[in-house]
Amino acid sequence: MPPEEGTTFPSLENEEEREYSFAVEYTGPPVPYELPRAVPINVEKIPLAAVASKVPLSNTELHIPVVTPILAPDRNRFSKELLLQPTVSPTSVIAFEERVSENTNNCLLSGELSSYESGELAELINNNDISSRRLGACSVSNEHSSMLDYCDSFDKSRESSSRAGVSNDDDLNQADWGSNESVLSLDYPSSRVSSLKTGDCNNDSSAEVRRPQVVTFRDIESDNGLDEEFSQDDVQHQVVTVKREPQTKGKKGSCYRCFKGNRFTEKEVCIVCDAKYCSNCVLRAMGSMPEGRKCVTCIGFPIDESKRGSLGKCSRMLKRLLSDLEVRQIMKAEKLCEANQLPPEYICVNGQPLCHEELAILQSCPNPPKKLKPGSYWYDKVSGLWGKEGQKPSKIISPHLNVGGSIRPDASNGSTQVCINGREITKVELRMLQLAGVQVAGNPHFWVNEDGSYQEEGQKNTKGYIWGKAGTKLVCAVLSLPVPSKYSNPCMEPLSSMTSRSVPDYLEQRTLQKILLVGSTGSGSSTIFKQAKILYKDVPFSAGERENIKLSIQTNMYGYLGILLEGRERFEEESLAEMRKRNCSKETDPEGSSDDSDNKTIYYIGPRLKAFSDWLLKTMVSGNLDAIFPAATREYAPLVEELWKDAAIWATYNRRSELEMLPSVASYYLERVVEILRMDYEPSDVDILYAEGVTSSNGLACVDFSFPHSSSDESIDTGDQHDSLLRYQLIRVQARGLGENCKWLEMFEDVGMVIFCVALSDYDQFSADGTNKMLLSKKFFESIVTHPTFDQMDFLLILNKFDLFEEKIERVPLSRCEWFDDFHPMISRHRTNTNSNSINNNPTLGQLAFHYIAVKFKRLYSLFTGRKLYVSHVKGLESSSVDAALKYAREILKWDEERANLSLSEHSFYSTEASSFSH
Amino acid sequence: MSVAELKERHAAATETMNNLRERLRQRRQQLLDTDVAGYASSHGRTPVTFGPTDLVCCRTLQGHTGKVYSLDWTPERNRIVSASQDGRLIVWNSLTSQKTHAIKLPCAWVMTCAFSPTSQSVACGGLDSMCSIFNLNSPTDRDGNLPVSKTLSGHKGYVSCCQYVPDEDIHIITSSGDRTCVLWDITTGLRTSVFGGEFQSGHTADVLSVSINGSNSRMFVSGSCDATARLWDTRAASRAVRTFHGHEGDVNTVKFFPDGNRFGTGSDDGTCRLFDIRTGHQLQVYYQQPSDNEVPHVTSIAFSISGRLLFAGYSNGDCYVWDTLLARVVLNLGSLQNSHDSRISCLGLSADGSALCTGSWDTNLKIWAFGGYRKVI
Repeated sequence: MPPEEGTTFPSLENEEEREYSFAVEYTGPPVPYELPRAVPINVEKIPLAAVASKVPLSNTELHIPVVTPILAPDRNRFSKELLLQPTVSPTSVIAFEERVSENTNNCLLSGELSSYESGELAELINNNDISSRRLGACSVSNEHSSMLDYCDSFDKSRESSSRAGVSNDDDLNQADWGSNESVLSLDYPSSRVSSLKTGDCNNDSSAEVRRPQVVTFRDIESDNGLDEEFSQDDVQHQVVTVKREPQTKGKKGSCYRCFKGNRFTEKEVCIVCDAKYCSNCVLRAMGSMPEGRKCVTCIGFPIDESKRGSLGKCSRMLKRLLSDLEVRQIMKAEKLCEANQLPPEYICVNGQPLCHEELAILQSCPNPPKKLKPGSYWYDKVSGLWGKEGQKPSKIISPHLNVGGSIRPDASNGSTQVCINGREITKVELRMLQLAGVQVAGNPHFWVNEDGSYQEEGQKNTKGYIWGKAGTKLVCAVLSLPVPSKYSNPCMEPLSSMTSRSVPDYLEQRTLQKILLVGSTGSGSSTIFKQAKILYKDVPFSAGERENIKLSIQTNMYGYLGILLEGRERFEEESLAEMRKRNCSKETDPEGSSDDSDNKTIYYIGPRLKAFSDWLLKTMVSGNLDAIFPAATREYAPLVEELWKDAAIWATYNRRSELEMLPSVASYYLERVVEILRMDYEPSDVDILYAEGVTSSNGLACVDFSFPHSSSDESIDTGDQHDSLLRYQLIRVQARGLGENCKWLEMFEDVGMVIFCVALSDYDQFSADGTNKMLLSKKFFESIVTHPTFDQMDFLLILNKFDLFEEKIERVPLSRCEWFDDFHPMISRHRTNTNSNSINNNPTLGQLAFHYIAVKFKRLYSLFTGRKLYVSHVKGLESSSVDAALKYAREILKWDEERANLSLSEHSFYSTEASSFSH
Repeated sequence: MSVAELKERHAAATETMNNLRERLRQRRQQLLDTDVAGYASSHGRTPVTFGPTDLVCCRTLQGHTGKVYSLDWTPERNRIVSASQDGRLIVWNSLTSQKTHAIKLPCAWVMTCAFSPTSQSVACGGLDSMCSIFNLNSPTDRDGNLPVSKTLSGHKGYVSCCQYVPDEDIHIITSSGDRTCVLWDITTGLRTSVFGGEFQSGHTADVLSVSINGSNSRMFVSGSCDATARLWDTRAASRAVRTFHGHEGDVNTVKFFPDGNRFGTGSDDGTCRLFDIRTGHQLQVYYQQPSDNEVPHVTSIAFSISGRLLFAGYSNGDCYVWDTLLARVVLNLGSLQNSHDSRISCLGLSADGSALCTGSWDTNLKIWAFGGYRKVI
């Protein structure tokens, strides 16, 4: 470099400093190109500063040139360094800018100007060719992006990039950086690039041609880092909506991408950065629009709040470009996707920014503030008055919502010294109060309820109703003050609106709580599932479902009959053998009793029935019982009727306890076999409850429901009314295959809690391989509880079939199961009559045993997780008991949400309550 | 015969069987004088080299709101169907990254999806134990949902994988948690044949994956939780043609090698293996010692058109590109810019081999393509 570079700033450097300067004299051959002059710094002429003054400072992140990513590590480091340069220092920015735009020449200058990366820059300077290497890197990045496109155009982009590189040399304009970048867009013909550049040179103030849209390589992390940096710099940042600037901008009114057209051509607008695209470009610029009409680069960014109103309102252009279905999907995505929701932290209530839950509460309350915009508001929780910070009330919304902080006296900036619920009211309100006939002399402090009744602070009696008089509403209208929305029935209104109002879609997604219901086979989890359906659904089973259930009941029925017939054959053989034995003993009888009477025992059936019986047993053995029905029903119904009337079957039925295969529910159906096997049989709800294998047919079943508002329910909580909006989804999965290596339990990691179902009456039952079923359940419970997916999950253990258990425990000791061998209940002497009058405090043996088993499971659970297991006992066939258990589950879920808010002292109170509930 | 005696005999039989199996394994070990990598390097083959820009992410398909579980390409035209835990199938145009269909499923817990050979319909299956077929050309109902055109029900466990039989739109093979694979006739909705199950010599645990031989569509291979892969002939459903042992964990994924004589597997034990269906031998193990002790599971694999590259997705978000000849990792897509944030759950190569699509639990799909001079390998 010629020595004049060093002497450009004589004022800045004295002789001593020069010794430490990194500038080295250029000794090489004369350069063929013209050397740019380093202009002395003139504060007004710093290019970036001019731009930064135009847009909010928080926006400056967009001006930071983003270096194209290349994996080579040194380049990465380089880009990081560039990004991290504090942009507040104008000198460093210049250094960077110029270094980029003028490929080789300014190294000296920049090296002297930026004091930071001296090491790196020294290298740069000493090595004259390093910048050309950097240029190489640039072109690599061009290649890089060219490969991204399926269609070739590699050569073209290379060509255009080189052209841009050439043009860089003679242009000192800051916009060069942008145009250099824009070459990366493959879709730009190179001629357009140059035209763009000249255009930009003319209006350099706002020229910020940014990276193209096709592929983004923006380093998100470093972006965020910058963002933070700025938020520290800028206190206002939190409140001011970050407005993204469009990445390219052509002349006024033209498309931002192809720079064609004028202000009258139809264009689609990006809802984030306000970029406008013509119909040719919109699909390219916005891609598949996963979050609605946003440029690809804007995806994930919050929308421009001024465009909130147009969310989900489709333009004609899109309708023309895309199919109906696509448009609908895009509009739905636009309305519902997370990034487009009102960011809760933009809304300040009583000086506190909201969190997601609070915003949801606010928006889902029966009387929400209309058209909520970002800003600070005050909210009077007692009366429901709502207004902008420092202004008079604008609306009366639902009271008692738990959002924001507590109201401040100066919330509405009043100066009247009259207070309502601790807020000094404005003059307009005071005037209204006077007109409404409220005594306001002596600057009283009022306490106003949501129905308008007011009392003076410290006094008990209600002094009157503010909005009681007809004239008051008129006054309010004149003074543009709010009145309660439906004053006539303030108490009834919330309830009725609750049921009629439909929940906004995106809220529904947030408030769906999933409950997973699992249990080993025979634990009655399907009964609980069916009960939930019957309890909470208006139409528990559709016609198709009923038809299927009917078929499966009838199929089961034939199964039961088959078991009976099999038993009959066995009994017949036995009694025949017995008879023969008797005959043998009577062998001395010379005549020999008649043969036919010999073969007829009480289990004998006629040949026709015998044929049917054989056929049925044969089909059962071959295992295709499902296949022959329902066709068989028509044919055999009369035959079954005949069979059922046969004495032999009755004799067998009376010995049914000897048939192990026959499930206990079979007798419920067998009693009504004739009715059930008719063609026109319609299963009742109870029939469905008893039916086996109705829900397990396809592995997984789920039901969406919400708890209805019943009178008994109100005692629990009327406070948080948004509760009734909560929807629950009960998912029942089949136990089969739910093992340690279960591949799909991961899918349920978003459930709120797991209900594990165990049949209490299983303690004396054994599975086919001789293990106690209770122990099997225990093992299954262990594997589910310790599954990594359910780490930190709440578990509710339902001990099912309590009714059967109570009855069984009187006959069979609990120690039949080795896990329970230390069960020694204190049995009172008067136990014989406790069953009849359990009003006295002696618990029954069943209850004692239940508590014992519950504790066993709780210990097991806390051994694995160190947490508390919730337990409830249920009689699966009693709807009230299932209802109670599911409501208990709801309480647990709610408690889980509130747990964070409560202090430790309350913790103990809640936990005792929860356990007492289970008793 | 008493129960105790029976148990004794059972134990003895199990013992014998284990001994025999061990002998078999040893014998195989003896016969195995070399593996692919050893042979290739002894013949002086050099590994494929990849620059950082040779394989780049060129599209990100955003639109799912849940974990992506499965994807499939159309045989021709560059369309992709993907299945996610948000309960939707989305059909994408991979070139424009536009969605052409979004199908809301009756059961949200979907595990697999497949494109039909004629690209007219898609199939999916999941925890509802059914395989549902959607005809993409059928009109939508009032809510804008595509109606199910056929359900194939009969599995007694979840449907873990499905693949159409190549060149015909009427047959599909599914694998299921009920330990069977089933060949279905879609027109009738009935099972044509059941592979495995109670009476036959099938898998002894959940079947997780199937792959149909591209050159001989009568043969297919299945991978299962019993740590084996089995080769089946659709004409003889009664028993597996061959059983391939070797893995020490659940076989999550199987994929036929392009020539149809070999197939690759990926397993929970962190290895991918290459097996030869003619000899029944294991040809190569692809395993890289992880930096930490956590061994990532292989979730999905795919071969390049020539078979030289094996793409394997891992549960820790890595996606290795293996050189199948020399058993070396030539590239880790997980370390590149723009890679997925979470587990790679599925991947697939487009029919012409020019692009790879990966689906991840971070709800995105990404399309990777060869850059520079290299178009296909």
